[in-house]
Amino acid sequence: MRRTTGRTAKWGLLTAAVFVVMVVPLLNMYAPQGSFLRISDFSINLYGKYLCYAILAISVDMLWGYTGLLSLGQALFFALGGYMMGMHLMRMIGDLGQYHQPIPDFLVFLGWHNLPMFWRPFGSFPFALLMVFVMPGSLALAFGFLAFRSRIRGVYFAILTQALTYAACLLFFRNSLLMGGNNGFTDFKFLLGRDLRAPATQRLLYIATALALVLTFAGCQWLTRTKFGLVQQAIRDREDRVLFSGYAAAYYKLFVFVVCALIAAVGGMLYVPQVGIINPSEMSPEKSLEAVVWVAVGGRGTLIGPVLGAIGVNALKSWTTRAFPDMWLLILGTLFVLVTVLMPKGLVGLPGQLRALRRRFGPKLTPAPLPPPEPQEQFVKTK
Amino acid sequence: MKKYLVSLLLGALALAAVPLSRADTIKVGVLHSLSGTMAISETSLRDSLLFAFDEINKAGGIKVGDKTYMIEPVIVDGASNWPLFAEKAKQLLEEDKVAVVFGCWTSVSRKSVLPVFEKDNGLLFYPVQYEGEELSKDIFYTAEAVNQQATPAVDYLLAQGKKKFYLIGTDYVYPQTTNLILYKYLLLHGISLENIGGGLRKDDSGKVISAGKYTPFGHTDYQQIVAEIKQFAASGDACVINTINGDSNVPFFKEVAAAGLTPADCPVVSFSLAEDELRALPTKDLVGELGCWTYFMSLNTPENKSFLHRWNTWLKTEDHPGVVKEKRAMDSPMVLSYDGVYLWKEAVEKAGTFDVDKVRDTLESGEVSFDGPGGKITVNKNHHATKNVYIGETRANGQFKIVKSFDQVPGEPFLLKGLDEKVAAMNK
Amino acid sequence: MKFVRILVVELLLSWHSCALAAEGTPTHGSNESSVRHELAQAILSQGRQQQTLLTELADSGSKVASDVLNAWTRDGVYLYSAPDGSKIPVLLEEAQDAEGKSRALRVDTGQYLQGPGGKDLRFDQSELTTADTDMRLRSAIQQTLDSLELAAVDPASRWSAAMKLGNSQKPRYIPTLEARLGKEKDRSVRKALREGVALLQLGNTDLQVQITAVRQLEQLKAIGSLDNLRAVLAKPGCPPQLAVATKQAIHSIDEHIRWVNFFGTIFHGLSLGSVLLVVALGLAITFGLMGIINMAHGEMIAVGAYACYVVQNLFGTGFGFSITLPFSFAGRALSFGMHLPGLNATGALYESYFLFALPLSFISAALAGLFIERTVIRFLYRRPLESLLATWGISLVMQQCFRMVFGANNVQVNSPLWLLGHFSVNDVSFGYNRVFVIGFAAVIVVATWLLLTRTPLGLLIRAVMQNRAMASCLGVRTSRINMLTFAFGSGLAGLAGAFLSQIGNVGPSLGQTYIVDSFMTVVLGGVGSIAGTVWSALGIGTSDQVLQQTTGSPVTGKIVVLVAIIVFLQWKPGGLFSTRGRTLD
Repeated sequence: MRRTTGRTAKWGLLTAAVFVVMVVPLLNMYAPQGSFLRISDFSINLYGKYLCYAILAISVDMLWGYTGLLSLGQALFFALGGYMMGMHLMRMIGDLGQYHQPIPDFLVFLGWHNLPMFWRPFGSFPFALLMVFVMPGSLALAFGFLAFRSRIRGVYFAILTQALTYAACLLFFRNSLLMGGNNGFTDFKFLLGRDLRAPATQRLLYIATALALVLTFAGCQWLTRTKFGLVQQAIRDREDRVLFSGYAAAYYKLFVFVVCALIAAVGGMLYVPQVGIINPSEMSPEKSLEAVVWVAVGGRGTLIGPVLGAIGVNALKSWTTRAFPDMWLLILGTLFVLVTVLMPKGLVGLPGQLRALRRRFGPKLTPAPLPPPEPQEQFVKTK
Repeated sequence: MKKYLVSLLLGALALAAVPLSRADTIKVGVLHSLSGTMAISETSLRDSLLFAFDEINKAGGIKVGDKTYMIEPVIVDGASNWPLFAEKAKQLLEEDKVAVVFGCWTSVSRKSVLPVFEKDNGLLFYPVQYEGEELSKDIFYTAEAVNQQATPAVDYLLAQGKKKFYLIGTDYVYPQTTNLILYKYLLLHGISLENIGGGLRKDDSGKVISAGKYTPFGHTDYQQIVAEIKQFAASGDACVINTINGDSNVPFFKEVAAAGLTPADCPVVSFSLAEDELRALPTKDLVGELGCWTYFMSLNTPENKSFLHRWNTWLKTEDHPGVVKEKRAMDSPMVLSYDGVYLWKEAVEKAGTFDVDKVRDTLESGEVSFDGPGGKITVNKNHHATKNVYIGETRANGQFKIVKSFDQVPGEPFLLKGLDEKVAAMNK
Repeated sequence: MKFVRILVVELLLSWHSCALAAEGTPTHGSNESSVRHELAQAILSQGRQQQTLLTELADSGSKVASDVLNAWTRDGVYLYSAPDGSKIPVLLEEAQDAEGKSRALRVDTGQYLQGPGGKDLRFDQSELTTADTDMRLRSAIQQTLDSLELAAVDPASRWSAAMKLGNSQKPRYIPTLEARLGKEKDRSVRKALREGVALLQLGNTDLQVQITAVRQLEQLKAIGSLDNLRAVLAKPGCPPQLAVATKQAIHSIDEHIRWVNFFGTIFHGLSLGSVLLVVALGLAITFGLMGIINMAHGEMIAVGAYACYVVQNLFGTGFGFSITLPFSFAGRALSFGMHLPGLNATGALYESYFLFALPLSFISAALAGLFIERTVIRFLYRRPLESLLATWGISLVMQQCFRMVFGANNVQVNSPLWLLGHFSVNDVSFGYNRVFVIGFAAVIVVATWLLLTRTPLGLLIRAVMQNRAMASCLGVRTSRINMLTFAFGSGLAGLAGAFLSQIGNVGPSLGQTYIVDSFMTVVLGGVGSIAGTVWSALGIGTSDQVLQQTTGSPVTGKIVVLVAIIVFLQWKPGGLFSTRGRTLD
């Protein structure tokens, strides 16, 4: 999906956007029950979840595919966004919980009678929305500032972000943090005055997610094509030369890191009301790894790749956990290995690979063009 | 771009495709983690459910009116992933339209599927000991409530002359709540604050909100805690109340054994450790530790003997994928899963329909009971069950020797509030 | 009437202990038959009579009695129902015949149990009923054993026996303890005996005796007496003199506990550090030297642990598994399995299984590593970040394979006897397994270091890892060296697994528990530096334990360590021992 693909790609993307944002909800609303075109309430909810994952995958790819920073901490920002939204949703339960108290249930059985201070403002939706951006954003800013200032990159960056995620995960597991501990937040009832369980609300959430995905996609596409985006990719390919050319690479990286944290947080914010639970295992190191795998399967360094990867892998997971509950890890694991070894460019690169194969083994008409240079890895081994 | 559409469409198709069901079969859902961290415990429950289904089908299925239905299990893997649990529950209820679901182990998995069951009016049988403080109209808890496990065990220890209690658990809702209940219970029974070990946490007003020592999930290093317990138990009349979650029990007990903390000095009573988990422990060095459940494999009744015989025969002959045949054990959660299937069958046959509302009404009538391997089990109006409670001591062969039994204890989910009032009355 | 009987027993008891003191070491053999007879009676009787018999046995000082009683508490005494309906308590010999049966030793005579034809009878464990024990009985037996132990050859047993009797709150043991004190030479046992006497004297009604006891306890720094001292203080009407002495004693014992905890924490930190080191060393090779982000490292550890399990089973009853696939062929489910017969070894041979398991766990993990390197990793040397994805996929596949072969549950790996137990120095206890891991870690670190720096293979490994292309130019078979290095790293992980099986669980997700910690250790130490890994493992281990001790919460300690590592790496991005190169990095 390089830029030269031109008009067809543009139209294709536009059609896809229209399809995802409008046609799917319409099919859910109007297609008659039982018909081939009908998309059930269950399915649309599921697709909403996949689209949230797609947003997360774009954020991973903007870092890894475009800036050369493999972050294993995106799930943390995703979950933080989700937690901020979850706090608002918990407040909206009101006194409909098990104990019929005005404070969330888990606080009741931890022995609290009044709402702790930091919980209070979350009754307001605008405040929660603000926090969805402020919390992950400021964490990313602080961590990124420190990390990029001391030029941590490559595999160190990956492991450090993983450590950060793991520390946060352990912290959130603690009941004394008053964020629900292992059980997290669940049993949500209302969002903006609407019953969260009603199909119509779920449909609206789906539409919001689809719109967010389309906007993120368009925004990232725009960003990668500006001069900023070129510097970003230059950092990925040869950071030293970028530095020699007088660019403050650290600040470019910091900006991208914060933007990606925000994108992930938006994904998380939309994810929580759709799946109905947020707990610390959402920020466990494996979740970040999973997101990286989606990007790799779809094809990194493109924007459509992560979207395809996230949806494809999750659809496969949904299907195999039902069809082969005992074997699905074997299937998925093998798939990841095969994709990494045989398809370095992922699904998106597959047509190109096939073309190359045909050229190699088929009748030779024109000399094959030189392949584009491999993005150089940041991991430099020296001794 | 085409690929994008195609993949979406394919996804839609794959998910919308419901396998054609044969006539006179009834689908039931099995929702457990077969992979991930909880697979350690939950896989065995899947096996005992399959055993119950096969047994019922072999005996002619479920009779509703003048028709008989064969059970067709729909097994899904929740993969120890709580949003996936919610998704799978939704899929079972909305896509597969199962009549009932058997499943869940952890509290968080139950809490994650609860809204789904409430929305879709489903029926869930939950078989694992839990903290109570919950009552959903859509869940039937064949599990042990706190008053069917924790408090009887403490009664027993008090009767044995134990004066110091050390509370330790994994940091999540079941141990936190159970320990809070036990802490109040111990106060009521005249145990003073300094003889309750593990530490207390108080809120700003000085009220105790958490009692005991907590470690995170998957914790492996218990050196310091065991050293602390050793100092705590130096006077010789102490015991440990252990609510550590399955996996961490192994390093904990290996440390206990290595430190020479013998059951004669300081017995450990565990609530998450049944025969199935004991298989992983050095049982020879732990003879005499305590467990409290509503079923033990060593139960010497004809029902249990015949049950175990049937189970072993089934293991030899079954051909379900993923069922391991070697070195199997039977334990309380597995039996309660099994009992759940029969209780549901009984209720369906009594109600004469699979309709969830009618089956629920029948179950709530208090007349549905089953003579299970652990004794008679009856569902009460409060969705919990009345059953026998046993206290056992571990043996070198990985079994429990039953040292005390309580007949027909009704399950009671809400204990905290009543205890609070009693403690307040005592302090006055 | 009852009272009189008790009195008689008490009198007998004190007479016995006097006799014991007079005789010096208790005589064995001469009264063995009567001891045996009493033992058999004790096993068969119940209630008060049983208790009485047990107390009598306590004074026999007989080795036989302690052996049988020990077996009893461990479910090792069986009841044989003779044809005439009487019950005979027996022990089963360790040596088993081909059918797994063994001869039965009669407790009452010490002879083999014989059938009508004068032939030794042989039994399987399940053919006999076990002589049951319950909590009360076991604690009574324990007390008897403790009294017996007071005369044991091993000072450690005498020590623990003295401690237990001291805590029994039964003043009748005072003479027993004092008698022993007269003969005891070992310092720690003398201390324990004095402590025991003082503890028992605390219950005395004479104020002067009490104060002396309190002073004695203070001098001995007896941790176990804290509760008793507090109880003395809390008792209403505690005389002021006694209260002052007690307060002072409590204060100085608390001080002592602080020191014990301090040294204990250092030891725990060392041992946790060694665990981390053992676990991370393999990764320091595959990730540190080779640059492969090896997410399957944890599963290599699990391979080692499972190898240990299999070896243990082969020494025992054998090992088997069967797998059913979810596909059927011609209406039949596809399944396969195998069964390996076991050696049915017992005793020292069985205990030695771990020595065989160690090399085997190395070999099996190394072979698994070899296979993975040849099939997957060798295509990824130029793309290290992507090796993370492939190895993660491998780890998922391996976890599921473990589940299919060994079941989803954890499996049982027993520690050999020589790894169980502990010894104490001044109240700080050192577990044998923990001491073993420290030694074990030291040995494999030194071995690895020697291999890398003192052998031709090590030279080649370092050459290839530093510059593959140049090494290749110089004629080194880089592909072979890569393969061997990866196999070696995996083998080290396997060794770690064998060791972890002794202190933790062995299950499909074993590897996941340690993977993040391993990476943190290697990165903090400085990628590519073995010495760095050693220092960072010990540093993380110790600070984790210190923080756990000071904050009182295991989680807080862990979180603080993680954050500290993150902050530290901002300051020294290359880790503790960063390797410097010429490239701008």
